[in-house]
Amino acid sequence: MKHPAPASSSRGRRRSRLRRWVAALGALGLLAAGLGPGEAQRRYVVAFANLTEEPGVTVEGTGFTGREIRESFTLAARAYPVEMVVYDNQRDEARAVANAEAAIARKVDLYIQYHRGAANTVVAEKLKAAGIPLLALNVPIPGAPIYTLDNVVAGRIAGEALAQFAGRSWRGQSMAAAVIGNLSATTDRVPERAQGVTEALAQRLPAVRVATLDTKGNPAQVGALLGKFLAGQPRGKLLLAATDDATALAVKAAVETAGRAQDTAIVSHGVDRSIHGGMNDRKEIDPANRGSIVIGSVAFYLDRYGYDVLPLAMRMLRGEAVPPRVVTRHMLVTAANVFIEYPPYDMN
Amino acid sequence: MKPRVIVAVGAALMVLAFGSAAFAQTDCKKLVPASPWGPNDQTGATNRITPAVTKAAAAEIKDGKVIVMSYPLTDGVPLFGSRFTKTILTAVSLAPGAAFGENELTYMEDTWLSQSHVGTHLDGMGHIGRKDCYYNQTPMGKFITQNNMTKLGLEHLKSFATRGVIVDMVKVFQQANKFKGNSACKKPCLEKGTVITAADIQAGLKMYNVTLREGDIVIIHTGWGDLFEQFPAQNALYNSGEPGIGKDAATWLISQKVVAVGTDTWAVEVIPGENPKEAFIVHNMLLTDNGIHIIENVRTDLMAAEAAATSRATFFFSMTVPKAVGLTGNFVAIEGIR
Repeated sequence: MKHPAPASSSRGRRRSRLRRWVAALGALGLLAAGLGPGEAQRRYVVAFANLTEEPGVTVEGTGFTGREIRESFTLAARAYPVEMVVYDNQRDEARAVANAEAAIARKVDLYIQYHRGAANTVVAEKLKAAGIPLLALNVPIPGAPIYTLDNVVAGRIAGEALAQFAGRSWRGQSMAAAVIGNLSATTDRVPERAQGVTEALAQRLPAVRVATLDTKGNPAQVGALLGKFLAGQPRGKLLLAATDDATALAVKAAVETAGRAQDTAIVSHGVDRSIHGGMNDRKEIDPANRGSIVIGSVAFYLDRYGYDVLPLAMRMLRGEAVPPRVVTRHMLVTAANVFIEYPPYDMN
Repeated sequence: MKPRVIVAVGAALMVLAFGSAAFAQTDCKKLVPASPWGPNDQTGATNRITPAVTKAAAAEIKDGKVIVMSYPLTDGVPLFGSRFTKTILTAVSLAPGAAFGENELTYMEDTWLSQSHVGTHLDGMGHIGRKDCYYNQTPMGKFITQNNMTKLGLEHLKSFATRGVIVDMVKVFQQANKFKGNSACKKPCLEKGTVITAADIQAGLKMYNVTLREGDIVIIHTGWGDLFEQFPAQNALYNSGEPGIGKDAATWLISQKVVAVGTDTWAVEVIPGENPKEAFIVHNMLLTDNGIHIIENVRTDLMAAEAAATSRATFFFSMTVPKAVGLTGNFVAIEGIR
């Protein structure tokens, strides 16, 4: 015969069961949210050591500045339990190491390094010794996952766009092509853009010869270089790939001056603010300017880096595996999609 | 042509005609939710302002004190690009000999050239859509003329005589030790890009022990309006971004069934937005999807100060919206009566 349990003991068991259920439900809730215990309240300190913050200095052979990259991190961090700490590597080896040491002293939770030079190895070693995970930006660092742009892919997109345009508009006509820009900028891997353009054009338009015109970083050279090129192509259509937006605008001005605008299609790289604007800040790539000979520019999104990199950083902080190499989603931005990719907010 | 062929061609044309109309309708049903007030609703959230709501709001008037909540409407205030205002005074009758009659009556009047979304202004149902789909699944392409809209104009709005609630976000951020200001503001203001969350609004309401009611109008003080007041000196900075509500706050305010949300900023929502690939998403959420009005460039500092001085954040919201037929919005005058 079973004896009924005392009422108090029964209540105790019920309470205990209830507590277990509540704990189990809570754990399920955390699991559903993809968070570990205590994770919901955890705030992280993430350091970003920028390549350079020097005003007006552009990076990666584009029109974007270091400041734009840093601001994108600040804006993107709003959506995460993250306090951003920003350092300026000033393109200086000693400064890059000193910044890492400062971050280690501050006990940051993760370090994002954007620097070119041997200091990267030292920085990586110091961070590893301090147990701070490292994420590399644009420049590979052994042992660290990297978020980077891909110049060859971007170049191929540009070349493909020119080839498609030629196939649509100038089928059967004689054509010449050129890649123009700072082709000496090997550090910024600009020649890889030219390689991508050339590869795509060779594949799609094998009969078209592709010239390379190196401005050596001086946009004032565009007119002279293009003048010689145009003199050699008195008739026929011209497919021109500029390696950055400022060069694309200079190319456009040069072909207009030469009276060859009707024969020309230009594709650029970057999509910086020199080539796209907003409702009231009209620029070359604009929905109201669909007839432009600048048919598009391949987006590099340096001004969105924070939005692309911080999700990776969060995964690392949560102990999740991340791919060793994540690449910018380059795409061609034209008058037809510029307001989708870069919604203007100079209106309300 | 044989009759059978004529019938077949006619049937095909009818299918095409009705098919295309049905296609547009179907698209808007996918893009925009239906109004809770029925398929013919063009009014939106002011449907919530019933006589009972207005009567309850009248209880907020305790001593008759009137607080100005709109900025002066004048040339030179911050505007956007092609937007402009221009006032031109006609004063010909002041010329010698131009007076009328023995009583020498003279007169003056104005020409006021302006877009409707300038100064302290209300965004109506026709202001913001997704593609050509606007509030209550309206395929707006069918309802616009060269001059105005033939649906969703301001003439369809009901009264705004309801309770207003001021939420002092400057105080909320200061008390939470997360205040980041802008040195160009003469009084404390949240920095542009500051996201105001649902929790922030709830903290602001708790500060004055307010629970939102259906039909309320929520006015958020960010301090950013201080730059508007400095016009034209700080116009560029004022327009360059703003603190404002994010999607989380908008979702919560929608759930509270408010009638309108106003701030001392030019777009109510945080700029730059939370997602750089979304454009004015809070406008879509409030106006397009829920018929909740947005009131921009509201003067909030005086009411915020009044609330701080009296520990009361509620007031009778008095706002005049012209019955402007087919307009997407209009400048308004707002007074908070206590």
